[in-house]
Amino acid sequence: SLNKQRTILNQQRDQYPLYQLGNPQLRIFRPTFNLTLVRPGKEQPPDTVQYRIPMEMTKFDVRNYLEKIYSVPVAAVRTRIQYCTNKKRNHSNQRVKRPDYKVAYVQLAQQQTFQFPDIFPEKDKKYEAGSVEEMQEKFMEDEHQRQKSDPRRGGVTEWFGL
Amino acid sequence: MCCCCWEYIVLSDRWRCTLPFIVSFDIVKMAAAVTSRLTAAVCRQFQRVVTVSSYTQPQCATQAFSKFHSCQRRQTYDSWWFRSSMNNRALHTSCVRRGLEEFFDLPENWGEQTVKSGAPWTGKQLRVKSNEDLHKLWYVLLKEKNMLLTLEQEAKRQRLPMPSPERLKKVERSIKRLDTVVTEREDSLRLLQTGQERGRPGEWRRNVFGKTFWYRFKEHPIPWYLNSRYKRRRFFEPSHVAPYTRLSLEKYLRSKIRKEKREKRNQKMLAAMFPKKTALV
Repeated sequence: SLNKQRTILNQQRDQYPLYQLGNPQLRIFRPTFNLTLVRPGKEQPPDTVQYRIPMEMTKFDVRNYLEKIYSVPVAAVRTRIQYCTNKKRNHSNQRVKRPDYKVAYVQLAQQQTFQFPDIFPEKDKKYEAGSVEEMQEKFMEDEHQRQKSDPRRGGVTEWFGL
Repeated sequence: MCCCCWEYIVLSDRWRCTLPFIVSFDIVKMAAAVTSRLTAAVCRQFQRVVTVSSYTQPQCATQAFSKFHSCQRRQTYDSWWFRSSMNNRALHTSCVRRGLEEFFDLPENWGEQTVKSGAPWTGKQLRVKSNEDLHKLWYVLLKEKNMLLTLEQEAKRQRLPMPSPERLKKVERSIKRLDTVVTEREDSLRLLQTGQERGRPGEWRRNVFGKTFWYRFKEHPIPWYLNSRYKRRRFFEPSHVAPYTRLSLEKYLRSKIRKEKREKRNQKMLAAMFPKKTALV
């Protein structure tokens, strides 16, 4: 079905108790919400952190979540819902919906800044002497060297003869 | 030992919220558990700022809560967050700001192709733990899942393979099993205390199509006879639907009998092929 597949955990949680004036504040033990920190697409101010949050969360939820679970001081939260396309079609010409998601822009308090780090830095791989990977790497390097043209020709192709 | 409650406030009533929530507590982390033993007299705010110089293994009987390298993650001084220039000023008086760091893996795992991880928690292992331990473990698993989701999204963004994606599955399974264990405990407690089998009341009802189903009650501020939308929902079978109910019942009974007969026929055929006299034992 086109409905988002919810686990039994989330379905049980959706029945929040009714609130009437004077009721105690609703508390949830063991929340099922997951926050995903994302790299901002557009340039954001240095104190702003961008998250993808489940649709059911509100600004207050995000603030409490970060403050209580991660002890991150939050000054402001702004949210928006990103609508994703329903235009793409699959091999049987059925429309395929990309799921929508909610984005939260969290501004940190106490003049903190955050810069999304580079999680996939280039690392020099050092292979053990005599290992299979080292031999493979050597072989690939030799192949590349053989495929390259003669550097003395100065970039001129073989078509020009001599 | 400071008593800590692990409540998490959610869903302020949007149209009735007046004051911000000022519940003061902190989620007990393993380091806090250790420090609280040593600095019992110190108030809660100081606990966050004051850190123990020598990191000691927590003396609680449980093993590492998270499946993998949880002790390393809780190092207070070696974090890259502290070493980065924007946070290393001459005087640093803010609270421990490891918050956003926990959305990422340990820096030595950045750029690796595979990251080692242990087995997921089984139900058997979880049933031995106390409620407090399970509660803490829930948050550990939640943070781990957030970290893995962050990593996955960043890998998609950079068009690189995510290192060890099986970790996500392991965490999800652990969370599912934890929830199973907790609901088991809740169910047994409720049965003992009240005798109710289900937490949410309901009853068997028949819908318009003649099907009998378990209707789960919902909370309403007004009684049902004032609820016009509820009254439009018919929980009875109209008289012209009764023949179809009977037909579907007959179909169900027929299929059941056919199944039993098929089983018997099969057994008879096998008995004819392999009579008991020729049995070895």
